[in-house]
Amino acid sequence: MLDNRATWSDFRSRRPELAVLGIGATEQHGPHLPVGTDLLAVDALARQVAERLNAWLLPPLPVSLSECHGPLGGTVWLKPATLAAVLGDIARSLEEQGVRVLVVINGHGGNFILEPAVEKLNRTLSSLKVLLAPESLALLPGDSPIFATADREVHAGEVETSVVLYLRPDLVRPPRPDGALSVGREFLDYVTMERLNPEGVWGCPGFADAEKGRRAFAARVEAITRYVLDAVQWLAREGHGDSG
Amino acid sequence: MATQGKGSVLPMGTVFTLENTSPEFERVRPEVAILPLAQHEPHGPHLPVGTDDIIVGALAARIAGRLDAAVFLLPVWPVGTSGPHRGQPGTISLEPETLWGVVADIAGSLEVHGIRKLVVINGHGLPTGPGARPWGNPVVKTAVRQLNYEHPSLTAVWLQPFTLAGPALREVFPAGDIHAGDLETSVLLYLTPELVRGTPPDFVPPQPPSYLEFAPFVSLSPTGVWGRPSQASAEKGRLAVEAAVNASVDYIKQTLGFLGQFRPAERREHQHVDPA
Repeated sequence: MLDNRATWSDFRSRRPELAVLGIGATEQHGPHLPVGTDLLAVDALARQVAERLNAWLLPPLPVSLSECHGPLGGTVWLKPATLAAVLGDIARSLEEQGVRVLVVINGHGGNFILEPAVEKLNRTLSSLKVLLAPESLALLPGDSPIFATADREVHAGEVETSVVLYLRPDLVRPPRPDGALSVGREFLDYVTMERLNPEGVWGCPGFADAEKGRRAFAARVEAITRYVLDAVQWLAREGHGDSG
Repeated sequence: MATQGKGSVLPMGTVFTLENTSPEFERVRPEVAILPLAQHEPHGPHLPVGTDDIIVGALAARIAGRLDAAVFLLPVWPVGTSGPHRGQPGTISLEPETLWGVVADIAGSLEVHGIRKLVVINGHGLPTGPGARPWGNPVVKTAVRQLNYEHPSLTAVWLQPFTLAGPALREVFPAGDIHAGDLETSVLLYLTPELVRGTPPDFVPPQPPSYLEFAPFVSLSPTGVWGRPSQASAEKGRLAVEAAVNASVDYIKQTLGFLGQFRPAERREHQHVDPA
């Protein structure tokens, strides 16, 4: 695995063909989680995935589309077109140096522009494919679900809080107020978060614990790794990546 | 991480980072943000491609703590334009307008929070740098200028720490040391010595650095070094970091203080001349 501690010599001799990019965010996460929650989670996740795949781990993006959290403190954001441009420029840089597959791991739920941006890149790039990692967890049949309230969570609830309790318990503070909202998830397309809950929570962080975080993290690493390996194999069979 | 003392009084010089929670930001309301910008590019055979990230991140953290104000220390934005290194293994390049968009968007989002002072650390610079023009990243200068002109209630400044420390450091790091040479090697020997791999030969191309506007770096220096890494030492690195932090803190305090005298400029109506 290569990351930004490696030197030019390392990159020239290793010539990685697979790269992993995590997309984090800097945004409010209620009273109990740090504003860097998305970044710290995707940073750890991308690193594990890159190690499993022996890939080039790019530095994660620390800012993305957090305007949905509007004026709540500690939040900064990019506009959708900017994020799409950043991803496109990164992809072209990688293509220029012989990378064939870029795995994008999205760490912030509001980055909906990624899907069309990735689709467009896959139409326009000639020798690089961009894979958007699935959000799902790799649970085996018979496994009990990890979370009790995931379906009621959009932000800073049981899932996110459990992951931070697993990765950086020192950064989780009391209190952990539940934020039960009766509107649909799409409401963040209409208003910013503080209009729905000024505490910034949409979910049930009271249910969180570190063991759930550990299980979910491992399951996500497994799901992404397997997805990428299967997709790369399929792409090779379909003729992408043939060097002739 | 900014910690809360008893009650609502926090010490001056409080730095807020990504480890803080939103209510902590709300209670104190930082008035200044620092945005550190790095590049991801080859740095010779011996230094990490993340050298700029390491240096700029370390400088930004030290500068933030010395400003006697509540400061939002933003995370280092890790990729820049890296034009001269395009296409090289290990380089990630953004187009100039993309990087401009990143700076402009982040500044705009800070304004929503009432953070009206932004310090952009536009790479680390060089002691022999020209001062009023940034080394290696003029698009950020342009972005900052437009922010100030187009957002009258925002005050944005840019700086390059080693450039500001030029008077103090020029004797220690003479001209000709531009990339992966004495300065960068010394600073890494001070900050992260475990990441420095030996000492490649010194190499100072006869061509002027302006050739980098039209020639790839590797065509001017096949080794990837432009300078004198043989002269590097951790002690020189420590000196460089201290001088750069001191000069940057002075510049920020003086400049923001001076600019604070100006009220937001009133927009002047365009005077249309009737062609008829």
